[in-house]
Amino acid sequence: MLGKLIKHDLKSLGRLFILLHVCFVAICLAGRVFFMNQLDFNAPDMSLLTPLIIISSLAILLVVAINFCTGLMITFRFYRNLFGREGYLSWTLPVSGIQHLWAKIISGSIFLIVDTLVIAAGTLILVTGRNVVEAYNSVSAEFTQVLGMPLPMFALYMLLFSIAGCFSTLIMIYFCICVGQLFPGHRVLCALAVYFIVSFVIQIIVFLIMTVCGFFDFAAQPAGTVSVDMFRLMAPSAVLMAVLTVIQYITVHYIMKRKINLI
Amino acid sequence: MEPILECHELTKKYGNYFALSNLTLSLERGQIVGLLGPNGSGKTTLIKLINGLLTPTGGQIMINGLAPCPDTKKIVSYLPDRNFLNEHMRVSQILSYYEDFYDNFSTERASKMLETLEIDRRLRLQDLSKGTLEKVQLVLVMSRAADLYVLDEPIGGVDPAARDYILQTILTNYNENATVLISTHLISDIENILDRVIFLKNGQPALNASVDEIRTKYGKSVDALFREVFKC
Repeated sequence: MLGKLIKHDLKSLGRLFILLHVCFVAICLAGRVFFMNQLDFNAPDMSLLTPLIIISSLAILLVVAINFCTGLMITFRFYRNLFGREGYLSWTLPVSGIQHLWAKIISGSIFLIVDTLVIAAGTLILVTGRNVVEAYNSVSAEFTQVLGMPLPMFALYMLLFSIAGCFSTLIMIYFCICVGQLFPGHRVLCALAVYFIVSFVIQIIVFLIMTVCGFFDFAAQPAGTVSVDMFRLMAPSAVLMAVLTVIQYITVHYIMKRKINLI
Repeated sequence: MEPILECHELTKKYGNYFALSNLTLSLERGQIVGLLGPNGSGKTTLIKLINGLLTPTGGQIMINGLAPCPDTKKIVSYLPDRNFLNEHMRVSQILSYYEDFYDNFSTERASKMLETLEIDRRLRLQDLSKGTLEKVQLVLVMSRAADLYVLDEPIGGVDPAARDYILQTILTNYNENATVLISTHLISDIENILDRVIFLKNGQPALNASVDEIRTKYGKSVDALFREVFKC
């Protein structure tokens, strides 16, 4: 039954998801051909600055938009399928609440991981033109020194961190929706409120961790590389996220098993 | 034989409001039961509890001797009082969906009913009229060989001609060992097909009797007795 639930989840969002991501890749290809390939990195610095700022801003905007859309699709699917009108069918299928939960976790993870990989591929399409690679090669030694490792290695680490983060993002979304369902009314609004409160609390805890780890004590720190600083911050943050994800999962598991109330 | 449905001191509270209060009842197999009562009497709450869509505040509810779980959902076929299907799906896709999840769903029976109704299987549910959509939903529910059919307001939003079709569909598609629980306000329309009625009043049973008993004991139709019991 779990396999069937996953199949229907994937089918339900698949078409829109594929369309969005094909558009993203097409825009990246167009950006590469019509913009990046036209850049002359031997030109004076000032004439390069404006186009680079424009393409970087557009690329960031596009990445945030596609990532946001994917998250929104998964959120709507979870809410509508389990707690909206469709819930009247979903919860009367001969499957348990936990199977529903795992179907949503697995299908949501697939969408988020593919989304991350497509974004990485799109970024690669944008920055792997011959002119960009040649320009990078001329400064790669300095870049490696600042980063503390070669850029591709650094990018790979970032990609792996992002993929690992998909799971906690997903559980956080499901947690907020499920806790919102415990309220007698205005359940979507309550889910949003839970999201903002939890995010705020996480930010405060991360800030405290950074302070305790001496991240802001610039005078006491030796001048490190970007990667060293990043990993110093990411290690405690990853532990925190893992702990939070486990707590959130246990809560969602309990609600899906014992506290379902479709009103 | 074990009753198909048993409730023991079943209670459901919404905040401080008791939708059901210490409800105790039992339904035998092989009958058509009318679950009748005014708005807010707890009919839909009871139906949702049977289907595991609500968690009881207290007491017990058993279907075929089990609390609501995947095993009970295999034998209960439920028609909610609202559209519960993904409207982006086509009629053929929703048939496949039912076939995928319910072992007792007969695609052949559903297809025959859709053919009789001249409903095009390629159409998306969002393109169907309200009445046609309700018929599709009923076709899906009645195409399962269930032990308990729970129908919440199956004739509420359709015209009299469609009502006749729906009632006919219910009568011709359940087997004699199955129980059909129908909740409705339109008592006169369904009175003739009922074997038993349960009147719910403020979350408690005000009456649980067979239609024959009502006619001999009170000398009234179910509709007339309902109007008397729930007189405003």
